[in-house]
Amino acid sequence: MNTKLMLLAVPLFVFGGSASAFDFGKLLEDRLNQKLNKNAPVQQAPTSAAAAPPQGKQKVDPVQLGFALFGDYSLEEENRIGRQISGNLLGAVPLVRDDKLQRYVNLVGGWVAQNSGRKDLTWRFGVLDTEAINAFAAPGGYIFVTKGLYRRLNSEAELAGVLGHEIAHVTQKHHLKVLKQSSLIGALGQVASSKARGSDQMVQNLIGNGAEILARGLDKNAEYEADRVGVVYAARAGYEPWGLPGVLQDLAGLPSGDARTSLLYKTHPHPADRLAVLGDAVGNRFDEVNGKTLTDRFYRIR
Amino acid sequence: MQKNLMSTLALLACCLATSVAAAPGTVLRDEKLYSQPSATASVAATVSKGASVTILAKQGGWLRITAGQNTGWIRLLSVRAGAGGVGSAGIGDVVGVATTRSDPSRVVAVAGLRGLSDEELKQAGFNADELVRLESLSVSAAQAMAFAGQSGLSAASVQALPAPGGAQSSSTWESN
Repeated sequence: MNTKLMLLAVPLFVFGGSASAFDFGKLLEDRLNQKLNKNAPVQQAPTSAAAAPPQGKQKVDPVQLGFALFGDYSLEEENRIGRQISGNLLGAVPLVRDDKLQRYVNLVGGWVAQNSGRKDLTWRFGVLDTEAINAFAAPGGYIFVTKGLYRRLNSEAELAGVLGHEIAHVTQKHHLKVLKQSSLIGALGQVASSKARGSDQMVQNLIGNGAEILARGLDKNAEYEADRVGVVYAARAGYEPWGLPGVLQDLAGLPSGDARTSLLYKTHPHPADRLAVLGDAVGNRFDEVNGKTLTDRFYRIR
Repeated sequence: MQKNLMSTLALLACCLATSVAAAPGTVLRDEKLYSQPSATASVAATVSKGASVTILAKQGGWLRITAGQNTGWIRLLSVRAGAGGVGSAGIGDVVGVATTRSDPSRVVAVAGLRGLSDEELKQAGFNADELVRLESLSVSAAQAMAFAGQSGLSAASVQALPAPGGAQSSSTWESN
């Protein structure tokens, strides 16, 4: 409880007046309690009679206020959210039991991520043991590619392109923006549990059921943006920029009605549209960009 | 001699362009067809958005295609592979659209392999052991940089791409 109050009170100095600031904190605190303990009655703080301003004078929408105060998740919160989503995703589908593969993807992805400009994260990459054709990103630098998609790749540049797209979702904070739209107050949980090994209930309340946030998908413009930003990350890492476009061409040629792509269908624009939109942005801009394809070094799954 | 020539040609083809089994494709924007995979090469023809083409080979950011009587190189991002056409905002009923329109009953019939469903993601419980495993397989920034260096990869200066101004078209996956 004390931790929460501290958390609430500290940013309030931004607003100045500490007396009213404490009331804002109380408002948020009440809302947090309502959110987390829907069945429990809302507590009246003993100090409210003395400290609260007259009814009606102060009309503050707690959600509006929350946006003003907590417009961004902290790095700590971002890591916790990503960790919870990833733990749930791994509950649905485990990692491929091939350490060489996993290390290789971490080495390639780690290098592309270093060229993303986001240096405050610990990036982790994993290949998921499913024939589904898809890739996922979660806040905090968690990136996953399915075995089904990995099998279709032909070069390290294509892998770098796919990972670049997912890394872009993280750097552009696409999932955090979705969470901010749907629920804000829930993020104000205790900091202490971040080192815990197990599930983080506070964060789970924020993200809904399991890893459903990954099944809902993002706005299509977020996907187009991740394509634009991701190809540039791969190119900045020294790869030819045509890796991701090559993969999109491959996906565009797949027949509809393939169960391996059903979730991809639901959560992404059609690859033909992604090629067209990316093509509009690229034009002749990559004509002078020469990068490596690295077909030989590409690790192939047994 | 004949054999040497053949193998030389094969090697050349392998290094310069990746031949692909001739595949159908659709042109995504009015575009030039070049004699070589370069924007400085001579223009062999022009192709219109929505034109059906055959994709013959791929090289970097270029595809070698046949469009009607013409064969040449076109920008990779100006064509889509597959017979689904340019999508709902484009020409429409290009070959394949009408015949492959999505039918839920086909999903199971076509699929040999299982996917990952949104329901599975929703129901998923936290797997702490797999998360520990994921952490244990991660590498340091220095390791990733060293691995990049082993293949001669080095950071390149590449400008960010501009965000689009206009409205975007939309295809449906079902049109494949």
